[in-house]
Amino acid sequence: MQPISYARPASLASAIATLAEAGPGTRVLAGGTTLYDLMKLDVERPERIVDINGLEELAAIDTSGDELIFGALARMSDVSADARLTSAFPALSEALWKAASQQLRNMASLGGNLLQRTRCAYFRHGEPFACNKRTPGSGCAAIEGLNRGHALFGGSDACIATYPGDFAVALVAFDAQIDIAGPDGERSIPFAELHRQPGDDPSNDTTLLPGEIIVRIRVPADPVGRASTYHKIRDRESFAFAVVSAAAAIRLEAGVVTDARLALGGVATVPWRAREAEQSLISKALTPETARAAGELAFADAVTRQHNAFKVELGANVVRDALLIASGRA
Amino acid sequence: MKAGPYAEIPRVDAYEKVRGRAIYGTDNNPAGLAHGAFATATIGKGRITAMDLSEAQAVEGVRLIVTHEETESLQPARFIMQHGFAFQSYSPVLTPHVAYRGQPVALVVADTLQAAIEAASHIRVSYEEEPFTPALDSEGADPVPQAEAATAWPIEDIAVGDAEAAYAAAAVKVDATYTMSTQHQNPMELIGTVAAWEGEHLTVYEGTQNAGACKFGLAEQLGIPAENITVISPYIGGGFGQKNTTQSQLVLAAFAARELGRPVKVVVPRRQIFHDSSFRPATRQRVRLSADSTGRFTAALYEIDAQTSMHDFFQSEHADTAARHYGYGAFRSFARLVPTDTPTPGYMRAPFEHATAFAIESTVDELAYELGMDPVQIRLLNDTKIDIVSGLPHSSRHISTCLRRGAEMFGWDRRTPEPRSMVAENGDLIGMGVAIGLYVGAGGPNRASIRATRNGAIEISLGVHEMGQGIRTAVANVVARHLNVAPESVTAILGDTRGVPQMLTAGSWGSASSIPAAEAACEALREALDALGTNAPEGASPAEILALADRDELSVNAATFAPGQNKEALGEIDTGHVAPTGPVYPDFVTYSYAAHFVEVRVEPTTRRIRVPRVVSMLDCGRVLSPRTARSQAISGVVWGIGGALREAGEVDERYGGILNADIAEYLVPVNADIGSIEVGFIDEPDPLVNRSGVKGLGEVVLVGVAPAITNAVYHATGIRARHLPVRIEDLI
Repeated sequence: MQPISYARPASLASAIATLAEAGPGTRVLAGGTTLYDLMKLDVERPERIVDINGLEELAAIDTSGDELIFGALARMSDVSADARLTSAFPALSEALWKAASQQLRNMASLGGNLLQRTRCAYFRHGEPFACNKRTPGSGCAAIEGLNRGHALFGGSDACIATYPGDFAVALVAFDAQIDIAGPDGERSIPFAELHRQPGDDPSNDTTLLPGEIIVRIRVPADPVGRASTYHKIRDRESFAFAVVSAAAAIRLEAGVVTDARLALGGVATVPWRAREAEQSLISKALTPETARAAGELAFADAVTRQHNAFKVELGANVVRDALLIASGRA
Repeated sequence: MKAGPYAEIPRVDAYEKVRGRAIYGTDNNPAGLAHGAFATATIGKGRITAMDLSEAQAVEGVRLIVTHEETESLQPARFIMQHGFAFQSYSPVLTPHVAYRGQPVALVVADTLQAAIEAASHIRVSYEEEPFTPALDSEGADPVPQAEAATAWPIEDIAVGDAEAAYAAAAVKVDATYTMSTQHQNPMELIGTVAAWEGEHLTVYEGTQNAGACKFGLAEQLGIPAENITVISPYIGGGFGQKNTTQSQLVLAAFAARELGRPVKVVVPRRQIFHDSSFRPATRQRVRLSADSTGRFTAALYEIDAQTSMHDFFQSEHADTAARHYGYGAFRSFARLVPTDTPTPGYMRAPFEHATAFAIESTVDELAYELGMDPVQIRLLNDTKIDIVSGLPHSSRHISTCLRRGAEMFGWDRRTPEPRSMVAENGDLIGMGVAIGLYVGAGGPNRASIRATRNGAIEISLGVHEMGQGIRTAVANVVARHLNVAPESVTAILGDTRGVPQMLTAGSWGSASSIPAAEAACEALREALDALGTNAPEGASPAEILALADRDELSVNAATFAPGQNKEALGEIDTGHVAPTGPVYPDFVTYSYAAHFVEVRVEPTTRRIRVPRVVSMLDCGRVLSPRTARSQAISGVVWGIGGALREAGEVDERYGGILNADIAEYLVPVNADIGSIEVGFIDEPDPLVNRSGVKGLGEVVLVGVAPAITNAVYHATGIRARHLPVRIEDLI
């Protein structure tokens, strides 16, 4: 049996100190919904687990001020039900409750959800599949394989695994920041800089440094959030990852768009902001035609594979519908 | 005794089940239990050249590692369709051969499950690899005409009239090809065995549809007398044909338990079940259907390529059902089997009929559009009282009534025929589709023993298994009526080889074979009670008569068999074999029927398909237990929705095996996918097939749901889906 050492620090300082001492085989345990899953699949074989569930200071939710502040240990179900979120940022709330199942949302933490690893079957299911993310240098079975679920954006010759989460897609649309604690103290980065594209090193999903943990997520309480949605198209009506999803928000003044936010899920290696498509809408009326044109622009640079090319047409329509749903709330 | 429709009673084991008191096979934990886990093959095909067990043996708590080098004393399993007991003839771990990726190559047994799993992951296997053919469409997957496939029960192609000539001469015709991916049952209860020896006697706890095959198959593989084996399977957490025979783990668990002198439990994980058990084979079907100008079918030419394994011919019975959908003027079938490097496919719920109905009922829909006819009317016009294959009459065939009543319940008259002609307020395209389904009306032999006691208990043993379909409730309802007792006083001993011989429960013959035996046992008990000479008043209960006779209890036995069968059929079930018969009996032919009406909504932009409403009207003869029958029917519709829109085994041909081998990635419907499902029953007893008037229900309920959905999708969108499952990309 592989022995696993387990620590449950009672404070953030103690957790950081524990992580600083620990080696590369250390994993942080929050809700456990991803870590335990991957341990059962033998993808993760941690030697040391640092359980941060005792860090009550990381569980707070404060949506009353100029910034929405979510502790990394806040549970998905609690955040999705937050009253201000549902009215001022429906996209954020929807991105949470359209993910997973109620049971999983009750367990899963926000920080852990952001760090959820890809659902690529070649990554998850071990031998005999080649996977540079799981076993660096072994190759990528997906590029020439069954890649219906794989990325159209942000891939490389080494990896086209899709980032699977929903909440992160909505966060990236709203210019969120995240606060990170580590051995050298706290730092803040734009949320968009948390996830990294695979490039020639797919094994590393994020820019977090050894010993660092996410402590909180901050979202500017921008009024653009009110007319927003997270539109998630999947292979069944619940409990499935996105085939294509879009987080969209619209601000209209005098009948034209003054601010637009658009991010895509299910189609990229990282949460994917579609800035050109956003810009294309500014100063225009939002109509089915302009919304569809923005969708086409969002997918203009897609790199398709044998089984996922349909997502260009589907994606353009998902964006269209998302923008129309969002503007219907303006 | 009352006659007519049965009263609705609650499911008799509902409380046990919801309180967790129903003990399923691998819930049993005998003292000293050890746990097994498999190491599995990572190559598509080949031969094991060496195994390094050292790391695995070093794991604390490991007691035994079973590989092909230790199993020479075990006999290979024999395929059920070669008069054996197993789902396939290939026996992993009994040979160095690797027939498909994911098969077991070693069984590790340890004090804890964790240690067993850990150690199994440390077994290092060296292979000599061979090229392989993992799927129906793989290069090198060559069809073999079924007529040339050597099996114990050969199936010939069907030829009625000159179908080629009639088709060539016809005024209106459709020629279409339909394909389906593999599907995998995924019962909630995993496949597994607990094996416990006491001296020479082995007790097996296993969720199985076939305790008899487990007993006799295991005896054959272990080389011990069958009377030394008891198999106990009172509940099954879903079988759906995947648990209809012995599986790889059974003999290995029994062997390991004997070697260790300790009980051993082996539960096969979900991922391994995808790789080492039966499944619904992938199929390619071509249908050529012609009609005269009035819509009467003049000819049907039916071709099928059905997947099988390299080691067994899993026969295609698709054409037999195809020939019975309608009264075609002429019919011809061509069945071919396509061997692949996979486990042997098998009898997944409505094993042939689900696929056949997709092809036939879609083609009928296409022809209806060619003719400009209403899809219900063309089906009514082509109904038949006579089986065109045998020339015999149908014993009962209420499909036209199912269509008429179903259409009324559904509101079919609101449908406008043109594709894309019905649009909802939110812009969704509305589609309405219909299809029929049929399933063989099988029967078989069964034994029954019944015991009545003075304190009012009735205990009945039957050769049938409770797998959630509600047979225990049906038995209680029937026995209660026949003996004039309360259903709660009836205890049914099922799936237990300590009772009467157990026949495979499958093929929708469970009720049709066991309920007649239950009735015969009740009748024999009545006669034995009368013979006590108590002059009890008319309608007295067995307990009252026993009290008058001052007897504590009375037991009797009975046996029944289907029309055309004789006592020899009992010999088959007494030795763990199957002995079903039908649908062609000496004087008639019997099928169960369904008519399904489906409404779909298709979102115009994203092409999402939703199924808000289904109406299903069913002809299964006499309904024995209305509540559990309705549950069966609803479950079949849900299954059909999954079969049409969700389920597909995905094969990466470079590796073999199944890529989406878990129920996160292998999609089945969730609650949010299911809308309104209304079901109705004709509830007319079949006058000929058995004394109880009962025909099968559990499979026909899903037959035709898929084409009713795809026909509705065509009505909504104008797009004809000829591959299942239908997904978003198929409509973009």
